[in-house]
Amino acid sequence: MRSKHIQILGLTLTAVYGLFVLWAYWAAPKSVSDVSVKARETIQQAANEAKAATGTYEVDPEKFRNGLNAFRAENFVLARDLFEQADPKGIDPKTQYYIAYSYYRQGWGRFSNDDEMFKLGLEQTDRVIALDREFKADDPDLKLKYAVELKKELEDGLKITADDFNPLRLTRERH
Amino acid sequence: MVKDHDTTEPAEEIGDLSAIDGELVEGEDEGYVDTASESEIGRPALPPSPDGNQRAWLHFVLLPTVFMTVALLGGLRIAAPEGEFVFVRPALICLVFAVILTVLFVRTGLISVQGWFSESIPTLGNIANGAVLLSLFAASVQMFNSLIPEQGLAFWVVSFCFLWTLGVSFFTVADPGKLVRSVVALFSLAFLTKYFILLNLTSTSSGTWLQRLWDDPTKEALTYLLDLPRYASATGYIQFFAAGLFLLGLFLVRPDTRSAIGEN
Repeated sequence: MRSKHIQILGLTLTAVYGLFVLWAYWAAPKSVSDVSVKARETIQQAANEAKAATGTYEVDPEKFRNGLNAFRAENFVLARDLFEQADPKGIDPKTQYYIAYSYYRQGWGRFSNDDEMFKLGLEQTDRVIALDREFKADDPDLKLKYAVELKKELEDGLKITADDFNPLRLTRERH
Repeated sequence: MVKDHDTTEPAEEIGDLSAIDGELVEGEDEGYVDTASESEIGRPALPPSPDGNQRAWLHFVLLPTVFMTVALLGGLRIAAPEGEFVFVRPALICLVFAVILTVLFVRTGLISVQGWFSESIPTLGNIANGAVLLSLFAASVQMFNSLIPEQGLAFWVVSFCFLWTLGVSFFTVADPGKLVRSVVALFSLAFLTKYFILLNLTSTSSGTWLQRLWDDPTKEALTYLLDLPRYASATGYIQFFAAGLFLLGLFLVRPDTRSAIGEN
């Protein structure tokens, strides 16, 4: 083998090994078996980034449908997981809105709301607004059609006001 | 004839100096440009390889592999008691120390700039040498990351000691052999401090803080006071291997790479 070929081999090896080291410190696998899991995630992430960059990114319709079924069955934890799988890059306003709505519905209570759920819902709604400020849900099951309406509802739910002690409040309905 | 005439003229000019007659004999060390410098720094001179490429393999393949392995392992810790990998990213001070160390390598002649980067070396050779130097720098950063405690008072004390020693070396050490010995001594001391003394002062028992305090009050108190991270003893073994690899890599670094590139 000529010296030139060895130099090219060395350069390639150094670059590949260097990238692996950088990846290891970025992904931080917790064990040897976790290395393959993290590698798969990174490849998936890179593929989604490439799809988004080339404009070929789309939500997985099968997973979205399953997520919607879980959402309607009030299994919000499963629904969120399926929606996140359907839109791994988190750039589809419709899917992201369903995730925000799932936090609202899970956190809503006739006597008191779950503040943690509402806070997460608020963060998620802000994400939807950042993606598409004029987003409008086309699902008749969702009574709050606009992201700003959902945001207002979540913000009101987090506040403690005199109205919270109104007994008639028990008659209110979830949106 | 013309050549003969030319060669006799200087002899006439220098007059009474005695002439030495003899045949030119090709030396065995032909193309062995860095032997002198290697012997100067106390390294055994490598014999010429049968295919002439052993030096290239060593310099362009083995060395970066060794240094990148050090770069990988230098920040690896094993959390106690879970046994999970923890990849600790280097603190900024590690980069500063690595720069100082690399400058010291060049200043003392352990790495000759002319022997690594030169107009007479082909572009590919210069780039390949750059990659080797980069891997050496990455390994140096990670060695400091490995040897300096992660946080707390110990971090500042050991960092100061490193800064002091490197600063003194910068102005006093001019011999590459001495520099390597100094680095070995410095790293050994830091290794002993971190992986023998501090690691043995760290409590690694599991449970609530009250339970840990009950199990071993002294260690638990010292862990809290010195802000020591809880790592398993396996970390010490990994870092010992990494430090050994780094020193092996330093031993294999040649001041002049032209023989590896093939530019004799």
